Amino acid sequence: MSIEGILEQGFVTTSADALINYVRTGSIWPVTFGLACCAVEMIHAGCARYDLDRFGILFRPSPRQSDVMIVAGTLTNKMASALRKIYDQMAEPRWVISMGSCANGGGYYHDSYAVVRGCDRIVPVDIYVPGCPPTAEALIYGILQLQNKIRRTSTIAR
Amino acid sequence: MTAKLTTLRQRLETCLGERVARLSLAQDELSLEIAAADYESVMRDLLLRPELDFAQLIDLCGVDYSTYKEGGKGRRFAVIVHLLSLAHNWRLRVRVFAENDDFPLLPSLTPLWTSANWYEREAFDLLGIVFEGHEDLRRILTDYGFVGHPLRKDFPLSGHVEMRYDEKEGRVVYQPVSIAPREVAPRIRREPGYGGAHD
Repeated sequence: MSIEGILEQGFVTTSADALINYVRTGSIWPVTFGLACCAVEMIHAGCARYDLDRFGILFRPSPRQSDVMIVAGTLTNKMASALRKIYDQMAEPRWVISMGSCANGGGYYHDSYAVVRGCDRIVPVDIYVPGCPPTAEALIYGILQLQNKIRRTSTIAR
Repeated sequence: MTAKLTTLRQRLETCLGERVARLSLAQDELSLEIAAADYESVMRDLLLRPELDFAQLIDLCGVDYSTYKEGGKGRRFAVIVHLLSLAHNWRLRVRVFAENDDFPLLPSLTPLWTSANWYEREAFDLLGIVFEGHEDLRRILTDYGFVGHPLRKDFPLSGHVEMRYDEKEGRVVYQPVSIAPREVAPRIRREPGYGGAHD
């Protein structure tokens, strides 16, 4: 398929999947969900220096408008049902990034009576970002990995 | 001891008299120990007597002395109250032991200082000390429906239950804890008599 000749007429042809994935990867809206110190690194990633806006990532105040949930921090037993409720409210397609040691597997609080040993016990996780806390760069790297993962999905051609 | 603390000590002794079980100095502040039976009346005097005038309750916390009981046979649970007098600019620690180790019960301070409300809820939540007369003695920190009092020394670090999402029930559920208890005391590995030490 060539675009020569077509471009003059103002057309570009592509597959529907490529277009859908282009749109999805270019507008990953995370639900604002910070649990602990990792949330501060997430905020760093969102602020002027790293500027997640240039990836089309805008933090949303509502799970119903969101595509991805960044679990940033220690997930306690008391918070777990609220986290699951927010995840359930997100519309498909949805993804989860587990950020930091605590969300990945309990981390420092693995042996605690009050902490969930990994948020993957509560919600299905797509990307794990290691670190305690991970730097803003590490989170952005995780987001880029999520973009790669989204690009591999095909909505129409199976 | 500074002149101010000497004055405070004298006033405490004159105002409280027999009810002073022990009065000691630590970290440049006076520590007052009283019996559980005198708790309510002593605290009322500390607040209302103008020569003491402890208008502010800074902190209230519980302690589980467990095996560290005084002389090995004292009481297990104590409540420690930190008071501040804004008028006289002095502070006081008050310690009171609950009489019953199995059901630690003390009168609530909420009628005297409203700031005691959440501190007492915390002490109840984490140590199981019950405050008689508290209007809303619910748990404050741990999960809804939590069983046990985690700051008690006999409470295991990993607890008794852990949480996961149940696909069938569509909600988070508790299940018995799956990890082995972790040893938290530091292990000392050295041959007997190392460096002339007595083991």
